[in-house]
Parts: sequence; structure tokens; C-alpha cells
Amino acid sequence: MIPRPQALIAELTHRCPLHCVYCSNPLAMQPRAAEMDTQVWARVFHEAAELGVLHVHLTGGEPALRTDLEKLVAAGRAANLYVNLITSGAGLTEPRLDALIDAGLDHLQLSFQDVEEAPANEFAGARAHARKLALAEIMRARQIGFTLNAVLHRQNLNRLDEIVAMAEQLGVDRLEIANVQYYGWAIENGEKLMPTRRQVDACVAGVRKHQDRLKGRMRIDFVPPDYYARYPKACMGGWGRSLMVVDPAGCALPCHAAGVIPELRFDSVQERPLRWIWEESAAFQRFRGEDWMPEPCRSCDRRGEDFGGCRCQALLLAGNAAATDPVCSLAPGRGLVDAVIARANQDRPEARTWVYRIDPA
Amino acid sequence: MNARSIPRLARGCRLYEDPAQGWVLLIPEGVLRLSGPGPRILQHCDGACTFADIVCQLCAEFGAADRARVETETAGFLERLAARRIVVLECIA
Repeated sequence: MIPRPQALIAELTHRCPLHCVYCSNPLAMQPRAAEMDTQVWARVFHEAAELGVLHVHLTGGEPALRTDLEKLVAAGRAANLYVNLITSGAGLTEPRLDALIDAGLDHLQLSFQDVEEAPANEFAGARAHARKLALAEIMRARQIGFTLNAVLHRQNLNRLDEIVAMAEQLGVDRLEIANVQYYGWAIENGEKLMPTRRQVDACVAGVRKHQDRLKGRMRIDFVPPDYYARYPKACMGGWGRSLMVVDPAGCALPCHAAGVIPELRFDSVQERPLRWIWEESAAFQRFRGEDWMPEPCRSCDRRGEDFGGCRCQALLLAGNAAATDPVCSLAPGRGLVDAVIARANQDRPEARTWVYRIDPA
Repeated sequence: MNARSIPRLARGCRLYEDPAQGWVLLIPEGVLRLSGPGPRILQHCDGACTFADIVCQLCAEFGAADRARVETETAGFLERLAARRIVVLECIA
């Protein structure tokens, strides 16, 4: 039986005033001219709800660059979806935020690059930190959900305690501590982002300590750096199993990064019904279920838990999207990951020159 | 939890009856499927009713004779949600 998707990730635009060095957008982005209009998105939200989707995540790029964002939030609610806005805070003045709340926004997720202004702006490639703090202050008194998302990596993992303290001080309900995942722009900056073993161990212990201390006051969700894990992450909750991404031009993908897999062709919501894409399109069926799995996944007890890991990571590291995720300690390709980690743990001089994410045309 | 606690859904958490999937609690990054008296309990968590009020109403609605059991089970349900920051318990002096 084909599973029912739980959430739709709507990439409304790839434009963004920030240029984060680990941006998860693809290197080949959709230009502004290709962006879908309000009416098409509204239809997609309705089709998603009919398919069983309960959450829509409005993201980008920076979704607030869409001048019709209020209408898109209202369209999500009209389709009976829980509407989450994933934002850098750019373009969200207090009146605009209140207009979004009036339109039915359920939740706002604000990303932070660091707790200190100078490195935060350095990683974002923009003067964004002070504005984020101002928006977080405004959110304190608003009656919608508020998550602070902090992205961690080699250059800021040592400031975990300060980041948690900032979230506490800002009164957020939920804190997402997300280690950088190596796709898109993060690969371009891989060496400068990859943490050391010592940093990862301290972070895992630190997060656990803060989770216990803040239980019932603030929820902390943790995304570990999977290169250091023994088993791979259940990427996207399994291919074509619970999540669907629609990019600014309407291409529907099983994962944000799936565009890197050369054999796949993605259907557009402008040409096909969402249900057909989910249930019948080749891209969504390619790695759904277990038939595609090689050994050691095929006979592994964990195959129903991690679904063989991430297909994009398998392609990026092992050159084969149908391989076991090389992060897995049982994978034939684990040596590829170990080599990256070994390099990250060597003492070596570090240049801090970044490849910044560019803006699409 | 005590008789005068006032439970309410935390901000960002919303009760919803889906035509196909039944009662669910929509929370940031997740969905909790509710069954039994769960939806009814949460409908009473309006930010005004005390825990004692809610137990009273539930006993009446379900025709429950065993008030102590309704009280224990309702408290357990709400405290589990409170530990996950889905329900907030406010106390009046």
C-alpha cells in the first residue's frame, strides 16, 4: 500500500537576501521568472490536503520575499493545513508578521547562524543577526508557535551552551539544534564545516543535559551530524513515504536534494495532479519501499527504521544513489566517510574563506 | 497537577478533526493521533476551566461513576502532554 504523505514542503522561492555557507538549496536554483503564482500554490495546497497532508512548511529561499505570502498562508489554512513559516526573518516587519498571523499562520521557525553577531553575519554572508533578535523579541508576545533553529558546525559547536541560553532568554517553545548536513552549498564548504570528534561528543552530551534541564519548559530537537553516526538517518522519513517537496517552479521532489540524482526526472505540479505524482510518478517510486535495496540493507533488521539512509548522500559520496548510505557502519562505502572524518580530526591550519550561496536570477 | 491547575494547549498546538483521519493534535513538526476521550479532554482545555471543572464535565458527559479514575487518567494524559510542552499548566493562587 502506498503511504500517505504527512507534510508538504513548499519552496516558494529560491531568492534570499542571506547567503549562508551551508544553504540546503540546490546549486542550480529556480529563477524568479519560473516561480508559481498564488493560485497554483493554493490548488497544490488543496490537492495536498486531499492526499492526507496535514502540515505545510512554507520555505525558500526566503519565503517572506513573496509579496503574496499573506495570501499563501491564508490558502494553506483554507485547505485545513497547519501552516509553518520557515524564515530568516528578512522582510518580516511587525505589521507584516501580524498580517501573517491574522491570515492564520500557526507557527514560525526562525533560523540563527550563531549567538554572536560577527560570526553569525559571517556565516550568513549578510547583516542579518540583529534583525533576527528583534523579530524574536516581537514573537515573545505573539500567540503562535515559535521555534528557534540554530545551525551548528565546526566553527560554532563550541558555543552550544550560549545558543541554548539565547533561546531560553528569548522564551521560545522549541529549539532545533541542527548540525549541518552535507548537501548543496555545505559540500562546497565541507572542510570548514565538518566538526571534530571531540566537538561532536561534547555536543551530544551537552544537548542531553539541556533537554533534561528544560523538560516541560522548552523542547529541544536535535539533528546529529550523521557522518559521525553508526547508522544513517531516516532521510525524509523514507523516500516517498511521508514528505514531499515542491520547488518554486512546481517540480515535486521526494527530498530537497534529489535533483543531484541524474537518473531521476521530476514531474511538475503544473502538469500533473499531486496525487498522481505521489502515487505513480517514477521519481517517487524509484526508492519507495524495499525492492530497490541492495545488501546489507535488504536483510538488515533496521531497514524499516532508517530505510537505507539517504539516497542523495549515497549518490554524492559513493556515486550511486541505490547504494547503502555510506554513513552506515555496515555500508561497503563507509571508508569514504571515515576518510572525511579523519581529515577533519587532523591538526591543520585553517583558512576561513567561504563559498557563499548565490542568488538565482 | 492539582484541582486548581488550568490546562491549555501550548501556542502552536491545535486540535483538528480531519475528515479522513479523525481527531489529531497538530503540533510543530508533528501530528498526534487522538483516540478515546483524548479529543474531549482537550476541547475542555480552554484556558478558563480548572482541572476540577474539566473532571466534572467529563464525568457528566461520559456518565462515569468512578470520579477518582477519571481524575487519575485525565491528569496522566495532560501531564504527559505537558512534559512535551504541548499542554501548558497554569496555576492560580
